[in-house]
Amino acid sequence: MSTSITRARPEALIIDKVTRRFGGVVAANALDFTVPQGEFLAVVGPNGAGKSTLLQMISGVIRPQEGEIRLGGRRIDRLHTEAINALGISRTFQTSRVFPMLTIRESIMVGTQVGLIGGGRTPRRYGPVTELISALLRLPGYRARVAAAEARAEEVMKMFGDRLWPRQNDQAFSLSYANRRRLEIARALVQDPDILLLDEPAAGMNPSETDELTDIIAELRRIRPGMTIVMVEHKLQVVRQLAERCIVMAQGTVIVDDTPAGALEDPRVIEAYLGTRRSAAAFGKVNADG
Amino acid sequence: MLELFLSQILNGVVIGFVYALIALGFSLVFGVANIINFAQGALLMLGAFLTFTMVRLGAPIAVAIPIAIVITTATGMLIERLALRPLQNAPYIAPLLSTLAIAIIFDAAAEMIWSAEIQAFPSPLSKYVVFVGSAYLTGVDFLIIAVSLGVMAGLMLFLSRSWMGKALRATAQDPEAATQMGINVPLMRQFSFGLAGALGALAGVLIGMYYMSVFPQMGIPYGLKGFAAALLGGLSSIPGAIVGGILLGIFESLASGYVGEGWRDVIAFSVLLAVLIVRPHGLFGNKSLDALGGASGATGGIPTTSVVASMAGATGRTKQRVLEAPLLVLLAVIALFALLPVLSGSNYLLQVGTQAAIYAVLAVSLTLLTGSAGVISIGHAAFFGVGAYAAALAGRNWGIPAEAAFLLAGIAAAVFAAVLYWPTIRLSGHTVGLATLAIGQIVYLVCLNWVDVTRGPMGIPGVQRPSLLLGIDMKSLTAQYWQALVVLAIAVIIAFAMLNSPIGRTWRAIREDRLAAHASGVPVSRYLVLVFLVSGFLAGLAGAQFAFLQNFVSPESFMIDTSIVLISMIVLGGLGNITGALIGGVLLAMLPEVLREFAEYRMVAYGAILLLLLRFRPQGLAGTR
Ligand SMILES: Nc1ncnc2c1ncn2[C@@H]1O[C@H](COP(=O)(O)OP(=O)(O)OP(=O)(O)O)[C@@H](O)[C@H]1O
Ligand SMILES: [Mg+2]
Repeated sequence: MSTSITRARPEALIIDKVTRRFGGVVAANALDFTVPQGEFLAVVGPNGAGKSTLLQMISGVIRPQEGEIRLGGRRIDRLHTEAINALGISRTFQTSRVFPMLTIRESIMVGTQVGLIGGGRTPRRYGPVTELISALLRLPGYRARVAAAEARAEEVMKMFGDRLWPRQNDQAFSLSYANRRRLEIARALVQDPDILLLDEPAAGMNPSETDELTDIIAELRRIRPGMTIVMVEHKLQVVRQLAERCIVMAQGTVIVDDTPAGALEDPRVIEAYLGTRRSAAAFGKVNADG
Repeated sequence: MLELFLSQILNGVVIGFVYALIALGFSLVFGVANIINFAQGALLMLGAFLTFTMVRLGAPIAVAIPIAIVITTATGMLIERLALRPLQNAPYIAPLLSTLAIAIIFDAAAEMIWSAEIQAFPSPLSKYVVFVGSAYLTGVDFLIIAVSLGVMAGLMLFLSRSWMGKALRATAQDPEAATQMGINVPLMRQFSFGLAGALGALAGVLIGMYYMSVFPQMGIPYGLKGFAAALLGGLSSIPGAIVGGILLGIFESLASGYVGEGWRDVIAFSVLLAVLIVRPHGLFGNKSLDALGGASGATGGIPTTSVVASMAGATGRTKQRVLEAPLLVLLAVIALFALLPVLSGSNYLLQVGTQAAIYAVLAVSLTLLTGSAGVISIGHAAFFGVGAYAAALAGRNWGIPAEAAFLLAGIAAAVFAAVLYWPTIRLSGHTVGLATLAIGQIVYLVCLNWVDVTRGPMGIPGVQRPSLLLGIDMKSLTAQYWQALVVLAIAVIIAFAMLNSPIGRTWRAIREDRLAAHASGVPVSRYLVLVFLVSGFLAGLAGAQFAFLQNFVSPESFMIDTSIVLISMIVLGGLGNITGALIGGVLLAMLPEVLREFAEYRMVAYGAILLLLLRFRPQGLAGTR
């Protein structure tokens, strides 16, 4: 039983009885909930609860074995990762996946490529051959679009204060752990997604860095209230400050679906965290952080 | 009709047992060290030739074989120690290319020691014949079956019963857990190379007896076939290897019986490709082939599919040092070179200069594909060849003027590259190298065997050069030199425009982390096809220029040696770096000319350069980009 707090907003994302097993492990067990447009949903739960698996399935990195995922009424769980992204779902990875040899600026520009050539949310502008010719001859239309993308990338870099902007020509492999996370978030944000999926964005950040990130996301909420955000996060302080709704997962199922305050005080949540020795350690981490 | 069928099946089964032996060597190394070992074929060749030499020196074959196996085993272990262990933390392209370098060094050294000719191999048992209907089996056939079954049974017992065998399996399953259990994992890796060497040597000897001959270049084709068998069988089980080997043997036997002996290897490599693409887990396999490869996968901290990430050798620095000349500087240097005919009338210099320009174009073409987009191409000579043949045929058969033949060659090679490499889009890690090597071999063999069109090994003589361009007589060598420089300038301009455009950035992103590229909305297939097209086009131009320079085209210019020379060039220069490709291309193209008295050692030198670079300067001279 879960207490849903959906308001009168159109549903952006529908998770419809989605199941995914890995061998004997059921990482997602008939997950069933909806995310209204513009909602900030936090997903918490002990290690191995299936949180990342959920994001992997929404973004098409992993396919569900049963059930459907729908985006604005359209079924997306059979689509390719890049097609799902083109429809307006951007994500970060738990193990930050940056492009090691690319600079910060280049990495963020990669996020603008799909918008540049079009497709998905936007009309297709450049086919392979037209893009080849445009790039080769540096045709003005193409160059103008690239320049616009550069401007957007700069804007996004500046959102992160002096973390990314002064280092824009540094290669990603040289970045600190926290900066790699920021870079990934920036690469997602430059796409101006309708739905943003964040997998533990604050992991590996110290308390002041965590606060800084929280402020950035809060600011993002202010300027883009329509953007739906699904955030997996172990740091409950971040969840309390940012999320409107909190889903607690354990062993592939949703055990609590409530406001962050309600969810985090629910006895079932404490129990889920203390259920296994490994999880107990996680809960210790949660307490220490939160 | 039925007799032919039956006898081909019998032949296939017998040779299939040999393939199974090679396959086991592959599977062992793949399982334990997580690497596709291109040197496996070289060990096979070594085993065969050691036996051949000892017998020729008067040793009884029964004594020669065990000694050859022991030496080959030791060689296998030495290869692991010298060429792979130092690369454990290198990106996955390094150990792969390292085994390739070893393969080419062995191949070339064998040619020097034993000559490139086919040698008669002692096969005392082949005179005994047993008829099965109208088909027959020789004593060698029985020997092959008995020895293979015996070895496989022994191996099975060894792996399941002995401590060493169990330790090997534990290492294959989980190296970290194995380390914690006190197993010396590096030793196990070395041991797997030794075992693979022994199996390879045995297979080499049996092949020698079966065909009653051996030749120095046998390593690559039999290595590929062994891998095809391993893949068919699923890479993980001994019975799987047997079934895979026999299936492959039957396929190619039927092909050689019904289509022609020349097509035997084409069929075998096509099977390899088909399995890679359609069923990368093999017919019965459960072992995933999508491992990144390399002894410890890609790199430690950052997940990546990069072929260059830690090649930069720049961890800790915020930006690695890369030498990249601006486009205008590169064009100016090319223009300076254009003065050569004015300064010296030496035809020899012009010839060498034109060759160097052609190789430089090829290196630029390959560095886009392998360096920037990260698609390891060990078959790049194929597109060079397609361009050369297209240019030659255009003039000869279709009466197209040579000027237009240039464009045609580029387009033909671009289309071939896109079509032939299309299936590799779905592959990852080492398997791309395997597939492109197979594709390169197939194209070469088709050129060799499709006599109606290509005139086979005789080649196509009398290729007409473009006649008149801007009032200059293009037939002279001087004009050809200039023409090659113009082609080079065009290649550099195109490559520069591509690399510094969003397309080039996207290629590099795909190379660096393909999953992240997908998740960032990059249509990966589209950009890979684009790089195939551009890279193929440039290789095709180089091919046409080559055909015009030589006035002659034949398959041997497009063998795997050429592909490997190209890889050495771009690694020498620095992957993904145009300036580097030009430096590497020109330097290595000049090498055999500078060291004229050592020209016959050139393939050994190329292999050694590649090997040493991977170990000591993986970022190359100019740095990777
Ligand atoms: N690719 C995979 N192959 C096999 N098992 C997997 C795979 N991905 C996830 N699992 C398993 O599925 C379960 C859920 O994993 P998931 O990564 O979704 O958990 P999580 O809630 O994100 O945990 P964490 O807090 O540690 O990130 C785990 O038991 C995990 O081992
Ligand atoms: Mg997770």
